[in-house]
Amino acid sequence: MDSLFMSFVPGDSIIHRLDPRTKILGLMLASICIFYASSFEWIALIALVFVILILVCKLPLKHFVHSARPMILFFVILFLMQLLFTEGKPIFSSKWITISYEGLVLGTILTLRFIFLLLFAALLTTTTSPSKITAGIEKFLRPLPLKYMGISSHDLAMMMSMSIYFVPMMYDNFRNLKDAQLSRGLNIKKDPVKAIIALSVPLVSISVRAAEDVALAIESRCYKSTGRTSVHMMGLKKNDYICLFLYILLILFCIAY
Amino acid sequence: MSIDVRNVSFFYNRGTSLEKHALENVSFSIEKGEFVLIGGEVGSGKSTLIRHLNGLIKPQSGSITVNGMDVRNKGVRSKVSLLMQYPQKQLFGKTVYEDICFGPSNFGLKGDALAKQVRDALKLVGLDEGVSALSPFSLSGGQMRLVALAGVLAMNPEYLVMDEPTSGLDPENRYLLLSTLSKLHSSGISIVVVSHQICELLPHAEKVIILKNGCIDFIGTPKEYLMSVSSPLPEITSLMKDLRLEGFNVRDDILTVDDAFLEISNALRSRGAKQNG
Repeated sequence: MDSLFMSFVPGDSIIHRLDPRTKILGLMLASICIFYASSFEWIALIALVFVILILVCKLPLKHFVHSARPMILFFVILFLMQLLFTEGKPIFSSKWITISYEGLVLGTILTLRFIFLLLFAALLTTTTSPSKITAGIEKFLRPLPLKYMGISSHDLAMMMSMSIYFVPMMYDNFRNLKDAQLSRGLNIKKDPVKAIIALSVPLVSISVRAAEDVALAIESRCYKSTGRTSVHMMGLKKNDYICLFLYILLILFCIAY
Repeated sequence: MSIDVRNVSFFYNRGTSLEKHALENVSFSIEKGEFVLIGGEVGSGKSTLIRHLNGLIKPQSGSITVNGMDVRNKGVRSKVSLLMQYPQKQLFGKTVYEDICFGPSNFGLKGDALAKQVRDALKLVGLDEGVSALSPFSLSGGQMRLVALAGVLAMNPEYLVMDEPTSGLDPENRYLLLSTLSKLHSSGISIVVVSHQICELLPHAEKVIILKNGCIDFIGTPKEYLMSVSSPLPEITSLMKDLRLEGFNVRDDILTVDDAFLEISNALRSRGAKQNG
């Protein structure tokens, strides 16, 4: 199927070979930086870092653009909200709407922030296989005292990997359903309410059934949440330590700035 | 009046590292009223091909026309109905009646004409009219599939395209579905079936298309298909071949049990006549 949304693309670049924990930590730091970015210089710096990372991981930009594409409507609404509802020095005004200079700046920066957040997240998912992400998250959660709450870090990681696994599956089911209902003459633009019912009712019923099947499959293989080992042997290598060093420098720089 | 597929090629994820060639320079035509069987291994491009036939996928190169109309035109969807694999998944109506109404009402049918179409469709697939008031989710899997089939038949298509219609059905429902298909075929609807169960559909088919790696590997009549070396034979045909090897004077291009019965009894009669004479 034609689905490039947030999907893993195998490769052999430096970024592909990094420990998943390093990459997850990197994504967290990048997210914090992106949320602190309040001027165009910051955004430009973030864009520069992103471009460098893309060049390093040797994947075409197309993969990342595809990940951001489904969210375009959200970005547009976000931008318009900021543009129209921010008070300040007006640069355009008519009877109904007033656009302020501050609104334009704020809207652009906020939208760019969300776009880069999504792009960095896509960088993680395209260069790391879902099972490695899970293994990384599991390792991160291990020190937490979860067992007093009746769950283990494996349970949480398992749930997370299941959700990751379900997203492309639902997307596939959705495409098949859309094809089926289009074949029955559904016109999504002409009759959106009918389209929502014709697509969502069967999608929910398929998904619930699939979830039950997966639960049975797990149960029938005697799943236990404690004492499990991972397929992926993780260990930090030279490149990981270099990255961690860079992270620390970044944090120090941020504090100093 | 036909579906004409000319030099169609298609790539998934074109221009990325995940690019996959699904169809390569495929050309054939489906005449009005014809029963066509499309076979081939998993991943040979069958599903991609049939999604082209009603314009769900637009051809990246080449052209497809239905009765002279380009498939990019949405009007072809009222002529070519596509029933996906496991079509019971697409049901959503509160009642069976409501669900079957979905297709024809999308093409503008209303009132008495609509009610008549739904009744006719239910009758065509052999379902009792009593089910029309039930929820589709309360039916058995086989019945749900028949409801889904009725849902596309109610649109009165000229061409009915089906992906693996018999997969996952028990022998009884399988027989029911196949006899429904041949009934539809004799009423003048073109039927295109994609299936791995080539042997069970071969007796009904008039044209066989086998795909391999996105190219047409074989195209011809069922009898020509049997002559091609690599094809696995239906049980009844291999029985006739064995009989012929054993020295019986029977034809070995037989596809149905009825024909085999006739052929064997003829052979026995002529043998008896020879011994007597």
